[in-house]
Amino acid sequence: MKYFDYMEPKTLAEACQFLSQNEGAKILAGGVSLVVLLKNDLVRPSHLVNLKTIPGLDTIRWDDQDGLKIGTLNRHRDILFSPLVQKHCPILTEAVSKLATPPIRNMGTIGGNLCHGEPSADFPPALIAVGAKLRLFSPKGERIVPVEKFFVDFYETILSEGEILAEINIPPLPPRTAGTYIKLDKITNSIAIVGVASVISLDEKGVCTFAGVGLGGVAPTPLEVEKAKKILLGRQIEESDIDQVAEEAQAISNPLTNVYASDEYRKEMVYVLTKRALKESLQKALSM
Amino acid sequence: MQRSDIQLDINGKTYSISVPSQRTLLEVLREDLGLTGTKEGCAEGECGVCTVLLDGLPVRSCLLLAVDVRGRKIMTIEGVSPKGDLHPLQKAFIEHGAIQCGFCTPGMILSAKAILDQNPFSGEEEIRVGLSGNLCRCTGYVKIFKAVQAAAQR
Repeated sequence: MKYFDYMEPKTLAEACQFLSQNEGAKILAGGVSLVVLLKNDLVRPSHLVNLKTIPGLDTIRWDDQDGLKIGTLNRHRDILFSPLVQKHCPILTEAVSKLATPPIRNMGTIGGNLCHGEPSADFPPALIAVGAKLRLFSPKGERIVPVEKFFVDFYETILSEGEILAEINIPPLPPRTAGTYIKLDKITNSIAIVGVASVISLDEKGVCTFAGVGLGGVAPTPLEVEKAKKILLGRQIEESDIDQVAEEAQAISNPLTNVYASDEYRKEMVYVLTKRALKESLQKALSM
Repeated sequence: MQRSDIQLDINGKTYSISVPSQRTLLEVLREDLGLTGTKEGCAEGECGVCTVLLDGLPVRSCLLLAVDVRGRKIMTIEGVSPKGDLHPLQKAFIEHGAIQCGFCTPGMILSAKAILDQNPFSGEEEIRVGLSGNLCRCTGYVKIFKAVQAAAQR
């Protein structure tokens, strides 16, 4: 690893200051993505700013108005074992249970996972499906960004210089809500070839009041299937509606070929898995 | 070059060392402190032979910066058993033929210890998930799972 200076800020403001003053500075959270990049000489920061020395960034809270608030430094294991997450956003529990292995989950953080910007990461599809919003902190102020707008390109997010992802907010979902995260991978819990997350809410008559579909691994960034809402909302969902959403998922996908899978295979599988995820979510919601 | 004087709590003992920022915990353990029970395999956090316990939880020492873990409780394979005795897990591994080349064994034992410390009544599924971060190229895992289950029952 190339030499870097190491800093331990006490507050978010101090961290932002370090980042703004040192153009080559990078944030250290769990380190499971960053240290691999450092070892392979793919990033050469002048400074590492350790966020873990700032207290209060790893809380999980529920607010009846605003919903679930997850601090950026929550480790994957904190989310996996959180009763609040299990109760209010179980698709997130499902997604994180498929994320890597226990030692990685003991170190990696949700903030780091999002900011690393890997197209096939497990959190983004689930967060997109539930309509999550990200709170970005900078000395100039805060801004709220819908999670699907956070990702710009391969490993590139909308974060500007000196800006830090502070919190993930999931607005409250209606009572009869069910979600599914399907991860296609070669080895259990390894990198996703295709990831699909779907969330459906139904009213007492079985009419769809909320729908969200998020995709991973099929484009330079995680994707939202925007048309899913148009196709599914306000109806008693039928197979043909699900089929339409799956076709749309396939249409907006623009996958790569790499060692894990070809672009054709991913294009094929995103259709199959979107259909499967929606069917499962619908079944679960109907039985609630 | 910035060097930090840090103290590490390893197996209940305090070590004082001076390290540059980019020194990993694995490098410190093996090269600075001579604790070579922890191994280097893939160096990317995928194989598990570098596994140590940090505050009781399995982590990848090859991905941890030494400066980042000062003041935390670290346990390596050397700290698993008091002098002269073997931990029940180590005995079970031997009895069940769960060791061939032995390279994965330190990481396996530590991950298994963490599983059983968390839940002494862990079933097969829990053990499989708990060891999913430790690869073994020799044994095919079956005897490893059996050994951990046997140790659980003790």
